[in-house]
Amino acid sequence: MLKTDAQFVKCVKADTEFNAFACINCGSCTALCPLGIDLHPRTLFRYVLIGARDKVLQNTGNIYSCLLCKMCEDNCPADVPIAENIRSLRSYINRDVFRLSRG
Amino acid sequence: MTDMTERKLGVYICHCGGNISDYVNVEKVVDAVKGEPDVVTVKTNIFTCSDAAQQDMISEIQEKKLDGIVIASCSPKLHLNTFRAMAERAGLNPYQYTQVNIREQCSWAHTHSKDAATDKAIKLVRAGIARTGLSIPLSRLRVDTTPAALVIGAGVAGLRAALALSDMGISVHIVELAEQPGGMVGKWGEMFPNGKKGSEIIDSLVKKVRQRENINLFANAKIIEKSGNVGKFSVKLLVNGTDTISLIVGGIIVATGFDPYAPLSGEFGFGLYGVITLPEYEELLAQSAGSLKYNGRDIDTVTYMYCVGSREHFKEDNPHAYCSRYCCTAGVHAALRTAELRPEAHQFHLFRDMRTYGKYEVLYDEALEKGSVFLRYEESEPPEVTLEDGSLKVRVKDRLTGGEEIEIATDLVVLVTGMVPRANPELVNVLKLPVGKDGFFNEIHPKLKPVETVIDGLFISGAAQGPKTLAESVASSMAASSKVGALLLKGYIDLEPLVAKVDPDLCVWCGACEQACPYGAVQRINCDGKEIAGINPVLCKGEGACVPVCPKQAIDVEGYTNKQIESMIEALAREAA
Repeated sequence: MLKTDAQFVKCVKADTEFNAFACINCGSCTALCPLGIDLHPRTLFRYVLIGARDKVLQNTGNIYSCLLCKMCEDNCPADVPIAENIRSLRSYINRDVFRLSRG
Repeated sequence: MTDMTERKLGVYICHCGGNISDYVNVEKVVDAVKGEPDVVTVKTNIFTCSDAAQQDMISEIQEKKLDGIVIASCSPKLHLNTFRAMAERAGLNPYQYTQVNIREQCSWAHTHSKDAATDKAIKLVRAGIARTGLSIPLSRLRVDTTPAALVIGAGVAGLRAALALSDMGISVHIVELAEQPGGMVGKWGEMFPNGKKGSEIIDSLVKKVRQRENINLFANAKIIEKSGNVGKFSVKLLVNGTDTISLIVGGIIVATGFDPYAPLSGEFGFGLYGVITLPEYEELLAQSAGSLKYNGRDIDTVTYMYCVGSREHFKEDNPHAYCSRYCCTAGVHAALRTAELRPEAHQFHLFRDMRTYGKYEVLYDEALEKGSVFLRYEESEPPEVTLEDGSLKVRVKDRLTGGEEIEIATDLVVLVTGMVPRANPELVNVLKLPVGKDGFFNEIHPKLKPVETVIDGLFISGAAQGPKTLAESVASSMAASSKVGALLLKGYIDLEPLVAKVDPDLCVWCGACEQACPYGAVQRINCDGKEIAGINPVLCKGEGACVPVCPKQAIDVEGYTNKQIESMIEALAREAA
């Protein structure tokens, strides 16, 4: 059971440009990932939009495995800034989960 | 003219470019009918409806002084009026023309057997010849019309129709059941697509209506009686519960609107604190400025539930199977206004199919951009709404995460309710206007006669006919007003003369015909001191229910007299070859 957290999306977007509304869930991103990351970006972003914070944090490993090669982003038919969104999530986790200060 | 008189009939058999001649042996039909009594010419055409063929027929009618013609071609639905007009141009009475349908009834229906199709065509053409041989010239019935109209309902459709009629110079009486005009739209705030308030739209219409000298608005009023016919209806109104007012009008527009669907207790959590309908949420939005609160508490999360009271297939009692059209767009528009009042609000749309059709698709795109999340659910797996320890929760399966179950903690659940027909049995009874299976008033044809009803001179408009957006309601009220205008501005209407006729010598007034007539066209009248059946030719549709019940055979329908029908049966019963 995924639980929604109304504050989560707000916090992710707080000082980043997380933007996945255009995602059409086609799956090109997953098919093209050279690392074969477990979790499809489309599913990860859906979790973010729904506000399923727990699910996103369960996938912290996947979020940090990404090479930011942008193979997915270059081929995304909906022009979702996938790599930038991954960075937004890292930024959120660094700040709100790992409590890393910016230096 | 009687059947003893020598007649001169012309018969034209159409190939319809092969549509008929591929299966019906046209030449064989010609041979079989050219010896029929009174037939002086039989011709064939590749396309009888072509200009050249019509011109040839006109010449022949005039040269040979034909007094009746039979065209064996397509369905009269397609070309009856074409050929009647041709007959008139040739100087032949249009009611002495008979169309025989050998395309739909012969070539198209019997493709398995050319012989059978041909035999049937021969018999049908002979029957047509027999009927035409007994035809007499008839003239259309002319009815004078009263240049005044009645509009029932002073909502947006009724008010707009009244102004349109007034623009045409037709006096209008509007009758409104409520104390105030305005209907549903009058209660609403900002509406899509331009954000103008419903109440402002109504205020400006009511202001204009009140300024017009040729519009009377009766509020707190209802119709208690209706009689008469197209061009001249007598209606009686009851105003303020006490005063009766009698009016004569030429046409009537019904614009009685809809009711919002009232969810059943427990339906999607209805009855729980925080579960409200879209009209209630609209009211909350209309009253909010700068912030969005429900009973004093900020709203962080809103969950919209779509198709409540629409597209119901599983419900046992009184299911509303239709789509209510306006609600998807209205729900999405409400989300946009919510985002304006409270940009950080988290909004979930639980839908079955999202139909923000036409120009309103941009609203859907905008809602997505502003963070609305759309989740599709199946009718067989509806979301569950619960209230646990004061917090409202919605559980639903999300397809886009592969069917994972999601629990949404929400402040409000907005049930996006559809439109249901307004219950008004009294009005239905007074107007004798049939309602469809879904409870809305029925048009004659959804595409080609969208505002016409089975009662001539009575039109329907707006959501009384079925779910519509405001724009669609106004469009249909414009359509109904132009139909009324077309009817009344000319000052008269010409009607088909193919109606029942009573022989006063034979009739003994037993009342059987009055009982049989579904149109109320028969009435007892006094004719030179004798009581007989009188037919109102305006109400009569010529369907002939009165004919077989008459014990004295005193009634005939013009164009389909007993003699004509008998002669057709005899022709049909003869062997084709």
